[in-house]
Amino acid sequence: MEEIRWGLLIVSYLFLGGMSAGLYFVSALATYLQDGGQPAYPRIARVGAMLAPWPVAIGSFLLIFDLGKWYRFYKLFLHFEWHSPMSIGSWLLVAFTLVSLAYFWAWLPAKVIDSVVSRLPKRLRFLGIVAWPGREGLRRPLAMAGFPLAVGVGIYTGVLLGAVQARPFWNTNLVAQMFLFSALSTGCATLILALSLHRDDLEEREARLLYSIDIVLILLELFIVIPYIVHGALSPLAVRQALALILGGPYTFAFWALFLTLGLLVPLALELYEMKPVLLEKASLHPNRVLAGATAALVIIGGFVLRYVFVYAGQVSSFQ
Amino acid sequence: MRKELAARLGVRPKRHALVIDSRKCINCKACVVACKAENDVPLGRFRNRINEETRGEFPKLLASFEPEQCHHCASASCVRVCPTGASWQRRDGLVLVDTDDCIGCGYCIIACPYNARFFNEETRVVDKCTMCVHRVDAGQPPACVETCPTKVRVFGDLEAPDGRLRELLSTRRYVVKSPQTGNDPHIFYLL
Repeated sequence: MEEIRWGLLIVSYLFLGGMSAGLYFVSALATYLQDGGQPAYPRIARVGAMLAPWPVAIGSFLLIFDLGKWYRFYKLFLHFEWHSPMSIGSWLLVAFTLVSLAYFWAWLPAKVIDSVVSRLPKRLRFLGIVAWPGREGLRRPLAMAGFPLAVGVGIYTGVLLGAVQARPFWNTNLVAQMFLFSALSTGCATLILALSLHRDDLEEREARLLYSIDIVLILLELFIVIPYIVHGALSPLAVRQALALILGGPYTFAFWALFLTLGLLVPLALELYEMKPVLLEKASLHPNRVLAGATAALVIIGGFVLRYVFVYAGQVSSFQ
Repeated sequence: MRKELAARLGVRPKRHALVIDSRKCINCKACVVACKAENDVPLGRFRNRINEETRGEFPKLLASFEPEQCHHCASASCVRVCPTGASWQRRDGLVLVDTDDCIGCGYCIIACPYNARFFNEETRVVDKCTMCVHRVDAGQPPACVETCPTKVRVFGDLEAPDGRLRELLSTRRYVVKSPQTGNDPHIFYLL
């Protein structure tokens, strides 16, 4: 492929879609986990629900503007092509966005709705019914309903690339999982970042939950990246040539330094350091806001670089 | 099933394909020019091309020219990935783009192992070799085939029992490009 057809708009979309999927995933998990009939981590659940719909909404707009004829995007929804990952993905994206908006509404604090409605002209005041108190009961069902959709959106961004047999850099069964775990990890990191910027301090138990999730996700990513490289290096010539793009090619620095080191290993080390009192000394951890924010920012940047490297290097790789 | 039915009705299914004898190619690029003239291909873009390769040093050297365009694959990955069904395949094997349904997402461009597709900046949709379907349906050969001065290209129907294609492919050795992608390409290069 002489030219790059999918550029930074697609990279950003894959990143933002994954981030939403991750935010929803962690928030839904926090909604699901209960302590004496009450959500065990209400702040994580609420902040996640407040953030989840927006990255994917922005990403969808980027996706539409990347089209040759953007105003024809509706044609995606006049057809369902089961063999096209993009067709499946666009339907999934709509379903996920709708559910995450509903979930957003279910978690929206009543006082926010009231303050908005009270500023509206009188004939629009009926919109106050949006603050219907029964919506609290919808939080858990919506969290459950959105769970598979969030995982679907997270994994589909990888399937979109992995299902292209013409591009050996992508066409392995590891790319989809890689993108899924990276998506969930960036979502988790966004929550850590948001809570570390929040006016109330990051609580000990919240930090413990988010760090634990993120450590598991980063370890899973490492479990995929290492076989991806080792197995790729032992694969047929086309795959090895494709892999050369990150093993001594134009994307080597981005992959090894920015993604693997700064985006995976350094945050993993920082998170393990923060969790050390819990893991080794059976003591409680004292979350450091600056460290938490920095760790989260690194994970987020790493997630973006991963998508950048895969989208660009994949298009360059070929069988010829 | 379709073949049986067609046989019973006395109709023979068609499978259009191209055989290329690249040893005859002199790199005159008449096929490239004819294609651009016939199909109104935008400036700087091409539906077909000639891959050039030179090897060795004088006096022991080789220059080889290999014409290439859409392979009109039997299991075309571009058709599979198209989210709107705009990329489609006719019963006679020709892979076409319905420009009214194409949204210009570029997925097929990326999914083509032969880099046969490109984004047409004038129409803002995907463009590719149609094997001059308008000429084929009128009983004429594609423009690149008709114009070739050294008769590198042979266009025809693989299903025709006495056709030139069957004759060439039964009596000559040939290869297809990158069969490992599983696309089942239908340009046959004679050796």
